[in-house]
Parts: sequence; structure tokens; C-alpha cells
Amino acid sequence: MTKILATLISAITILLASDLPLTAKTAEDQLGREIRVPDDPRRVIALAPSITEIIFALGQQERLIGVTQYSNYPAEAATRPKVGSYVRLDLERIVALDPDLCLAIKDGNPKETIDRLQSLDIPVFAVNPHNLESMLQTIQKVGDILNASQKATTLVADMRSRIQRVETLVSKTAHRPRVFIQIGISPIVSAGSNTFIDELINRAGGINVAAGPSAYPHFSREQVLALTPDVLIITSMARSGGYEKAKADWSRLADMPAVRQKRIHTVDSDLFDRPSPRLLEALEILTRLLHPELFKEGL
Amino acid sequence: MLKSQHHRTRIIWVALILLAVVLIAFALGLSIGPAQSGLRSAFSALFSGTESDSVLHSIVWRIRFPRVLLAMFVGATLSLGGLVFQALLRNPLAEPFILGVSGGSAIGAIIGILLGLSRFPGICFTSFLGSLGTLALILLMSTGSSILRKDSLLLSGVMVNAFCSAIIMFLVSITQDARLHNIIFWLMGDLSATDLPQVVILGAILIPCFIFVFVLSHAMNLMLMGKDMALTMGINIKAVTIALLMVTSFMVSATVSFSGLVGFVGLVIPHLLRLVLGPDHRSLVPACIFGGAAYLVLCDLLARTLPQQGEMPAGVITALIGAPLFIILLKKSRK
Repeated sequence: MTKILATLISAITILLASDLPLTAKTAEDQLGREIRVPDDPRRVIALAPSITEIIFALGQQERLIGVTQYSNYPAEAATRPKVGSYVRLDLERIVALDPDLCLAIKDGNPKETIDRLQSLDIPVFAVNPHNLESMLQTIQKVGDILNASQKATTLVADMRSRIQRVETLVSKTAHRPRVFIQIGISPIVSAGSNTFIDELINRAGGINVAAGPSAYPHFSREQVLALTPDVLIITSMARSGGYEKAKADWSRLADMPAVRQKRIHTVDSDLFDRPSPRLLEALEILTRLLHPELFKEGL
Repeated sequence: MLKSQHHRTRIIWVALILLAVVLIAFALGLSIGPAQSGLRSAFSALFSGTESDSVLHSIVWRIRFPRVLLAMFVGATLSLGGLVFQALLRNPLAEPFILGVSGGSAIGAIIGILLGLSRFPGICFTSFLGSLGTLALILLMSTGSSILRKDSLLLSGVMVNAFCSAIIMFLVSITQDARLHNIIFWLMGDLSATDLPQVVILGAILIPCFIFVFVLSHAMNLMLMGKDMALTMGINIKAVTIALLMVTSFMVSATVSFSGLVGFVGLVIPHLLRLVLGPDHRSLVPACIFGGAAYLVLCDLLARTLPQQGEMPAGVITALIGAPLFIILLKKSRK
């Protein structure tokens, strides 16, 4: 009898919960705000491609009902309804999808849109990955609120061991090539200190010649030449394809060490500019490009 | 006596008809959007309480409604601004955007944004200073000989505009952070980022200005008939001119700080309405307010629905319609 009653009560609870967010928990997001989020979020919108990637990496994609314009990884993500681009979110589409939780990113999503979503009673949990370490915390946080803590812990541990592996490898050599990573073609834009790209270069055993207070400094061709980079890496904005031309343009400047040593490379920008688990792939690729000598005997 | 009676009925008729147009535009603006809802369900959401379909209800009331309201205020202001500038400068091609007054407000607003000021009163104020600066510059450049010369006024406007664009590009290119994207979109005339309290503030600023201009509409009529005429009717030309220019710049800069550069509204609507209603400003002022409101709501509707993905700034639509008209009018006025 008690058993039947208990089953009945739990059934009713589930029924109610499916409609009304009766069961909600409070979680602190990465901006230090206390956010009421559903106990078991079922209708999540990821407001940036990186967050979409994190949700897939955690295996929680069945909760994901909306993504942003350039969410192209994994391929399945692109089939989800789009809610504008992450810098220009389409409020109406977001509301129309009736989400029970939005995951926002501090660096990119406009604050006004986030404020308005909250005024429409949609909980917005903000993440703020600004370096590899905080990105790992982001993954754990997202895992926690999507009830995938265990999976997140495993993923983070795996990523830590990959970072460790690169560190061990790089410590075998004292050689530190000068690196210029070009993330914008016209104008020429690179990444300064305290950016993900700067951290990737340092961890991969290189010197970021664009290091400086400005996060995304602009350069003229002449200035790049004066920085004498040993390695020049162009992140492909795969959508335009102009990077092949950029590569050809640089190749004419034979005075640059990178040109002389034929060390101009193009890499997939999605790997390098999204704070997602794939940033580790970027780190490994970069290490290979900066220190090919370390890979002669195989990793 | 009879004549003024006639005028009053005329004003009322014009206002009623245009009010109907505004209401239609308003209803369309509320019921159409990327979250396809259809006219009927949008209307039922409009008049139902919160308990019905809560998603559609909040889309219609909390996203589309403030936006449509903002479009109405901005459209009305710019159209009225065009009318006032055309009357005071006696130039059919004068318009806040063409004269560079909008550009000056934009410079002020961008400086406000970069300083991290709040939209109201901070950015509104810097924007107003910018518009006053350009207005003074234009008047200074074009008065000298005579304010009546069409070409000299327009040329001054063009040059002030070019200078404003250069300063704007300068400010944009020294800004290397995430705000850049928003500034650029906002510059093209963006009505998307508003919520109701802000629109209410804007309305509270603008409506007294509308009334003020309407009160002076008879004076504008007399001034257009000539200096002597206005003087004999006891109009203080200088005071009225300065008051109207100040109020108009103030209105325009307030809307610029909310929605960026929406061009040519002040050209299209006053011209269209003058063709229909004739030159009497007592009917033109209310007509421009309602006509401009309806026009921008419809332009914004196009801007929201034309692109497959996302939306385009409303200023793109108004310029696509307005710029060719400007060329036609310019050609006509040369003949």
C-alpha cells in the first residue's frame, strides 16, 4: 500500500515537474550570480558555438533545443534551430523556443540581451572561460547544472592529462620560436596577452610576438615583418577562404624568418577561437607546428 | 472665422485617417515576426491575459511591442524633424540625416558609449551636444551670404556629414573590443535593443517636443510667406527659429541615441504628405508625426522579415527607399 502511494506521489511529482519548474536549484554562475535553474533542464539554448560544443562533449545534446548561427560542430549541432549569432541574438526566436535555461558566455553575448532574457523570466546561466583553467571549470559547471557531473569530471581529467602531456614534451627543449598568429586578414589582427591564443602559444613552447596589453591588436604588414616571427600561423576563417591568398602574400616577403624556413601554416580557426574541449586539439596542433623536432620519434 | 473652422475639421480628418494607418501598421508590426504566429493567434495573444499562450504573449507584448513603439517614436521624430528643417531653412531637401545633424548626434553617442555612460541621460546628452555642434557648424557655413541658397546649405551638409563619418570611422577603428560590433550595427539604424521602460522614457521626452512644434506650426506658415509677413503678424523670427532648431535637434539626438542613424525618413514622409495636403503646417505637423510613425514601423517590419537568418538594420531599408527619392527631388528642383 505504502509502495503504491509512493509510486503515485512520485508519478504526480514527475507530471508536475514536466510542466512547471516546481523543482529548481540555485547555482552560482561564473559571474558570481546566484541563478535559479531547473533541477533537470530539458529545454536548453546554447548562446555560443563553444557552449554547444561543451554540451555535446558532455553527451547532453538531447537537452539542447537551440543553438547560434555558427554552431557547426559536431555536424549534428547545425540541425538545431538557430537563434541568431552569438553577438546578435534574436530575442524573439529564443523566447519562441520556450527554453527552461539559456547558457550564455560573458565574452561575446551582449549584456542587454541577457538582461532582457532574464526580465522575460528565462534563467540565464553565464559562463566566463578566459583561460584554459577557467575553461575546465566552465565544463564542470555546465556538467553540474545539466546533471552530468560525473561525465564532466572524467572529461576535465582527460583534458588535464593532455595538457600535462604537452607540458612534459615541451619541457624537453629550451628552444622557443617566435610566433605570430594572424586571426584577421584585412586588417591584420593578432591576439595579445591574456588571450586563449597567447596561452596556447606559451604552453606549446613559443613566444607570442603580438603579446601586449591590447587583446586583439591590429598590425600593418611592416610591423609584422619587424617582429621577425619564426613561425606564422593563419587561422582560417573557413567561410571566406581568403587565407590561402594571405599565405601567398606573406610568402613574397623573403626577409621574414618564417618565410625563409617555410613555416607559414594555416589552421582551423574554430579550434583556436572557441573555448571548448577542442581547444586541446588546437594546443596539440600548435605544439606540433612549433616543435616538429619533438615529434620525430612519435608522441 | 469660417476659414479657421475649415482648418480645424481638416486637421481632425487628416489626423484620423493617418491614425488609422498608424494603427494598421502597429497591428502588422505586432503580429509578424520570425516566430511565425499568424495574424489571428497574434491578435488573440494581444487581447488575452497572460494565462493563455504565455510564450506568444511575451513575444508579442514584451519583444515586439516595445520595438514597434520605438519605431513609431523614431519615425515620427525624424519625419517631423525633416518638416521643420525644410520650413526653417526653406529648403525642400533639408533633413536631419542629410544635413549631418544625425551624424553629429552619432559622434556624441559613440563617445558616450565609449565612456561607458548609461543611455539615459548620459548618452542622450552627449548625443545632443554632438547634434548642436553640427547644427551650429552647418548654419555658420551656409549663412554668410544667405541661408536661402539651396546648394550652399546642402553642400555644407554633405561636408559636415563627410567629416562626421570620418570621425565615426576614427572612433570605431580605435575601438578594439566586443563593443565594436554593436556600434556598427547600431550606426546603421537598429531598433532591436529596447525594452519598454526605455521606450517610455523616450516617449516622455518626445511628446512634449511634438506638442511644442505643433504650437509653432502657424508661425512656420507665416515665416514661409516671408520675413515681412511674419514680422507684421508679430512673430519674433529669430526666437522662433532658434527655439525650433534647438527642439528639433534635441528630438533627433534623443532618437539617434536609441536607434542610431535612420536616414531619409524626414525626406520621404514630409514630401509625400505635402503632395497630398498642401503646404499648411498646421495639418502637416500632425500628419508627419503619424505618417512617419507608420512608415518606420513598416520599414522595420521589412527589415525584420526580409532576411532568412537574423535581421537587418531598419536604416538600410529607409535609405534604400529614401536615397533614390532624394536624387529625383534634387533633379526636379534644378529644373
